[in-house]
Amino acid sequence: MSNSSKGFTETDNTQQPTGSRAPLVLNMHKFGEVTHQVCRIAENRPPMAWYIAFVICLGMMGFLGFCVTYLIFTGVGVWGLNNPVMWAYDITNFVFWVGIGHAGTLISAILFLFRQKWRTGINRFAEAMTIFAVVCAGLFPGIHVGRVWLAYWLFPIPNSMEMWPQFRSPLLWDVFAVSTYFTVSLVFWYVGMIPDLATLRDRAKGRFQQFAYGLASIGWRGSMRHWHRYEVAYLLLAALATPLVLSVHSVVSFDFAVSQVPGWHTTIFPPYFVAGAIFSGFAMVVSLAVPARELFGLKDLITMRHLDNMNKIILLTGCMVGYAYSMEFFIAWYSGAMYEKFAFVNRAFGQYWWAYWIMVSCNVITPQLFWFKAVRTSIPLMFILSIFVNVGMWFERFVIIVTSLANDFLPSSWDQFVPTWVDIGTMVGAFGLFGTLFLLFCRYLPMIAIAEVKAVMPEANPHAGHAGHAGDDHGFPAGAVPALREPRSSEDSL
Amino acid sequence: MSSVKKPYWRSVEDLTNSNEFRDWMHREFPDGASEHATENERRNFLKVMGASFALAGLGLAGCRRWPEMKIVPAASQAANRVPGDPVYYSSVWEFSGFAQPVLVKSYDGRPIKLDTNTMHPWGGAGISSAAQSQILGLYDPDRSRTVLSKNTQSFYEPFSVFLANKSRDLRASGGKGLAILMDMHSGPSHADMIARVKSAFPQAQIVAWEPLSRDNVIQGNAMAFSAQLRPMPSFDKANIIVSLGDDFLYGSPDSPRWARQWSAGRAVDAVDPKTQQIARLYVVENGLTTTGMNADERLAIRLSDMGVVAALIAQGIGAGDGSPELKSAIDTMVKSQATQALLLGRGQEVITALIADLKSNRGTSLITAGATASALTHALVAAINRTLGNEGKTINYIAESMEASKDRFTALCTSMNAGSVDTLFILGGNPVYDAPVDCQFANAMTKVPNVIHLGMYADETALSPSCSWHIPQAHFLESWDDARSFDGTLSVQQPLILPMIPVGQGGKNQIELLAELLGSDPTDSYSIVRRTHVAASGLSGVGFDTAWRTWLDQGFVAGTAAKAQNNAPLASAAIAAALRAETTKVNASDVMEVVFLRDMKVWDGRFSNFAWMQELPDPVTKITWDNVALMSSQFAQTIGVRRGDMVKISVDGRSVEAAAWPMPGYSDASVGLSVGYGRTGPGVGSTALDAGFNAYKIRTTANPDWAMASSIVSTGAKYLIAHTQDHGAADALDSKVPEEGIQERLPTLIREASVGEYRNHPDFARHLTHVASRLSLWSETNLEGARFRWAMSVDLGKCTGCSACVTACQAENNIPVVGKDQVLRGREMFWIRIDRYFRGSNPAKPEGFAIQPVTCMHCENAPCEQVCPVAATVHDKDGINSMVYNRCIGTRYCSNNCPYKVRRFNFFDYQRREPQREEGLLKVKPEYYVEDGPDVWLRMQFNPEVTVRMRGVMEKCTFCTQRIQAAKIKYKNAWAKSGGTASGVDNFPMPDGAVETACQQACPTNAIIFGDLNVSDSKVAKLHRSGRSYQLLEELNTKTRLQYLARVTNPAIERESGDADDHAPANYDSHAKAGS
Repeated sequence: MSNSSKGFTETDNTQQPTGSRAPLVLNMHKFGEVTHQVCRIAENRPPMAWYIAFVICLGMMGFLGFCVTYLIFTGVGVWGLNNPVMWAYDITNFVFWVGIGHAGTLISAILFLFRQKWRTGINRFAEAMTIFAVVCAGLFPGIHVGRVWLAYWLFPIPNSMEMWPQFRSPLLWDVFAVSTYFTVSLVFWYVGMIPDLATLRDRAKGRFQQFAYGLASIGWRGSMRHWHRYEVAYLLLAALATPLVLSVHSVVSFDFAVSQVPGWHTTIFPPYFVAGAIFSGFAMVVSLAVPARELFGLKDLITMRHLDNMNKIILLTGCMVGYAYSMEFFIAWYSGAMYEKFAFVNRAFGQYWWAYWIMVSCNVITPQLFWFKAVRTSIPLMFILSIFVNVGMWFERFVIIVTSLANDFLPSSWDQFVPTWVDIGTMVGAFGLFGTLFLLFCRYLPMIAIAEVKAVMPEANPHAGHAGHAGDDHGFPAGAVPALREPRSSEDSL
Repeated sequence: MSSVKKPYWRSVEDLTNSNEFRDWMHREFPDGASEHATENERRNFLKVMGASFALAGLGLAGCRRWPEMKIVPAASQAANRVPGDPVYYSSVWEFSGFAQPVLVKSYDGRPIKLDTNTMHPWGGAGISSAAQSQILGLYDPDRSRTVLSKNTQSFYEPFSVFLANKSRDLRASGGKGLAILMDMHSGPSHADMIARVKSAFPQAQIVAWEPLSRDNVIQGNAMAFSAQLRPMPSFDKANIIVSLGDDFLYGSPDSPRWARQWSAGRAVDAVDPKTQQIARLYVVENGLTTTGMNADERLAIRLSDMGVVAALIAQGIGAGDGSPELKSAIDTMVKSQATQALLLGRGQEVITALIADLKSNRGTSLITAGATASALTHALVAAINRTLGNEGKTINYIAESMEASKDRFTALCTSMNAGSVDTLFILGGNPVYDAPVDCQFANAMTKVPNVIHLGMYADETALSPSCSWHIPQAHFLESWDDARSFDGTLSVQQPLILPMIPVGQGGKNQIELLAELLGSDPTDSYSIVRRTHVAASGLSGVGFDTAWRTWLDQGFVAGTAAKAQNNAPLASAAIAAALRAETTKVNASDVMEVVFLRDMKVWDGRFSNFAWMQELPDPVTKITWDNVALMSSQFAQTIGVRRGDMVKISVDGRSVEAAAWPMPGYSDASVGLSVGYGRTGPGVGSTALDAGFNAYKIRTTANPDWAMASSIVSTGAKYLIAHTQDHGAADALDSKVPEEGIQERLPTLIREASVGEYRNHPDFARHLTHVASRLSLWSETNLEGARFRWAMSVDLGKCTGCSACVTACQAENNIPVVGKDQVLRGREMFWIRIDRYFRGSNPAKPEGFAIQPVTCMHCENAPCEQVCPVAATVHDKDGINSMVYNRCIGTRYCSNNCPYKVRRFNFFDYQRREPQREEGLLKVKPEYYVEDGPDVWLRMQFNPEVTVRMRGVMEKCTFCTQRIQAAKIKYKNAWAKSGGTASGVDNFPMPDGAVETACQQACPTNAIIFGDLNVSDSKVAKLHRSGRSYQLLEELNTKTRLQYLARVTNPAIERESGDADDHAPANYDSHAKAGS
């Protein structure tokens, strides 16, 4: 209930008080309040801002549909591609969205395995973001091929021609990597959501909602046996998803690293791409979390501590990305390879110098501001900086793809890529698709993992209620909410 | 009517004029007959086909578009005729008065490709792009297909009636008021018909005129020798070649022949490299030409100063037959202030070296001048060659068959304006567009009551309001004629197909129309030509028939080449007089000149509707679809323009606006604008429409070659120029790409050395890169034990950049023309391209030029194959990197990974759309598609052996795999027939040269050699073993099957520059293990 936080200023939980843990849920007295605060979003009419945002996103998505239809009916030539630059916005967008899709699974799986309790406040919608980002990402390789109607040849489907895909091609690895990642992320997300869907089912008043949530919660009753199985499954999925976080973007980077285009053919790419993906993914989570917590009154659940932690990760990965940029230059110089050297000098000072310097300023310089706590905990600043990071990371992919292709080995073939309105429309439209899906998620599904959040509340501690524990004026209903993970003593936060 | 068993189909008239057929057509398909005139539907085609078949069956006539008597149902099939196999016919195409021998490839009666006729004494030297593109003229959908009477559709019949009446009236008046304006023709049939016209109409005014004439050559040599003599150079015999603005390698109708000769002198094939000698080429020119790019020493001056340079050389070698008068005239000119200015700096250096070289190579040197150089220059050139003793050795003089035409044309205009012309025949040509502007030809035409125009297009002249009749002209593949090549060899022009023009709509050629004017019999071209040759040969009956058959088979009449007429006395006094007159006219060195360039893509505008030519990148500028005002970077800076900025060029109160294009190597005081572009009016074909800028607007009778500009100023407007090579030293002013990056890599991409360096290091080319240990990520394609190992060798020392290979490839492989809009986006589809680079740090004054044809290298270890996710590009055992169109889904990854960027992607269904000229950069047109693809006529040109690619697939050079297969089938069949199968081993022999790729076949200089590496003494195997042979980007371990032969040059002047150092032995990487 938003009333519960009325009269309170936003509590600073970014400090770790000596001898105790900083609270991850603020101003919350009862488990029921958590449930109510999350569920009411799905149960009540959304705020006007939601409608406005939804109409805008729907319009953008419609334009995407128009652009894609036009593209498929007319030919890939409606994009600004040309002979040396055979990939541009299409693959830039693909890599960009795959990168965005990294944060969710990282938060859900890796932070889970590392027992980062603070993940519970943000993991649900970060995972949703992942799913939708991968949907956007998957769109581009599908539509960018010249003969879309034959794109299914990329899959190893037995056929009368006895033709298999060519297994040495990184594009094929992409197909496997992205589809696996998407499947596992989807299952992970869905499995984690089942208890909360059951909660929504139980609270639902309309017949349709009861039916829909009932169907989605596949008979969840909250029995100990269910919880037991659920936890095992969740742990296993987390273990399964963890290597995928690293593998997907490594494989995507192979699209470039395995080729021999100067500026692509770089061994640093796999780790550099993964770091960049996490960097952009977290920036996107911040970009989404900031307005979402305002809009839906979730400041008690997504606290400043969460945002602070995410900003620290952005700072870390931003430094890694910056290191990778400088290392690329060093290696290009150190290799003595003429074409390699040129590729990087050209990147910084050639025809796309502006794109390169946008990339550097957004990805290397911007996150350095997060060294300052005042910046990390300032809502407007972190929002702006996270947008900068997103812009920078889009440009990173653009710079890698386009500048390398535009000026490769033979100067006679050098050319320049100029986007058409269809390029821009498809790019903008993909944001519309993403936004539409995300807004629908916010409206109809539990945005916060209710059950998991409760587990990190003091009440979840079997010893809650004893004197000295803050804020517990209620008896803890033993067994009603299981201690999800471990005794509190091992709980940790960044 | 014709009999059934004729070896070659003959009279068109038999059919088109047969009343039975015409009546039948009108009765049976009245709609179809007239519909066909304006549209071109398959349905109509089939209708006419059906009608023809029916008639053929009835024995009345053959049929349209099929060689007569050959598609008569299989019951009477011609001997040795295999359906689906191409048949080759020799014929000849007359270009500006010079016969170009061609071999026409025909599939089922459909001519699809023009190659050179190797049997012809003047053929066999490749074939220019312009000649090859003539096949498009045959199938051009914009071709005129109907008779026009005062701009309204009519039929030939009423014209015939008009002509008969007119002929009677004119005959009565002795031809008073009759004028005939025609383009240049060299054949005896034309001469014969004109003689007959002259005798029937003694007062007729007959003018043969070309907008791009050879008047200067004719007049200059006439001045020098007081006789009509044509200089015929032998570039292969000269050690020192000096060209005064003569773009002989590309810029004249017979350039393939000259290029072949030149390349002979450049052959680097001495058994012992230490004794290697090659010819040296000096070029003095105003702008940059193909010949200039191939020069060893080059000097840029104004074209208007060419006479001064000729005088300088003449003085240097003491030319003039010892005539003191001539000597003093030369001295006077050389002493003038303007002349002395030429000798500053580089001019001094080059001219001194040139004179020294000429002096020490008497009898083995050669100096020539271009057709745009003044008559005086030509006269001086003749005098210099005479003094050097070159006559009879490196140059011969033969009888000049043409006459200077400018004055006669002017006289015609005068009489037209005076109202003394009643009936004007314009046979070929488009004077309303291309006549000198001061003639005001369109205006003069209004004073002529009857103007009859015969042309391939209903062009500006045909559609001018004062044109009474327009008759569609027959293509050279549709009618009989004859012509002489440059050396005088006589050839018969043999048609392959009946006129595509609907029945009853003409489809005549010039001699047929003249015959009809005469009202004499016969009026069909076959009979006229035959009659001429009967008369000329003195043969008759079977004897003639046998000879005739031979002439047609081989494509020429043996022994008709002109005899040399050397050692005519030199008219020193005439030259001296001209010199003195010229000395007073030498312009101050700061006056800008405008040169009217001759563009081999469109010539005087007559080829401007051929899409291949419009899209062909100019060999020098790499510009497509437009002409530009070429100027030096320095001058562009002076007037404040950059590439694509519009400038207004004014000459004597007339002006033209054109897009500026700073071009390295241009003289600072010269601006070049080619003619033949900027056609805007009604009647201009869709391809030619709005292409470029019309230089004819400022070209006058007095100044047909150059004019001194009143002013050249920027207009502030911009124009988009589509060019295929964006970046290079030329663009350093505009480019943001670091220039050092280009200059650093060029020496390894295009390897060259001076002949001196070559003597010391014959394998210099192999030591320019360091190739580290070769490791593959994948196991490499196993090509062990292959039956063939196809490979190609490209000699950079011989390639002139003429681009004939580009057009040949386009014709052979059904490569689409994409339009200016798509070229602007960088999507041209050529499978082979000619890369052009400039060398040196100063973009305005390049130290050298480099030309490199690039096509698929057919890498044994192909980067494209490894990245294709659907295995659409794979290697075959014979070493060809194949592209499986059916399997390609268009991820374009192969192209990204191709270091040579030779793969081409069908971004749209290019074969199903008309080429678009231009749309805004951000505008993507949905009307890329036309309802039923390209015009059905255009489709008839397609090579049935090659798949037409759809959109969304990648394509690239296949080494002409269809030709390889055809040769394999041929030799394997022969082998099987001769009992080869008994051995059970598939080892049929294939001689070296059994497969010729299209590019190789068209190449004038034999720079491209294709063959089998398994045959150790094949040409290509030998070349690959040569010390000059190197792989492009060898360090990538692609193991290319195409290898380049490094260029060997012969500079006269030692230079201290960074680039020269790259070839210095000291720089050789002693660790290189190239080729290991």
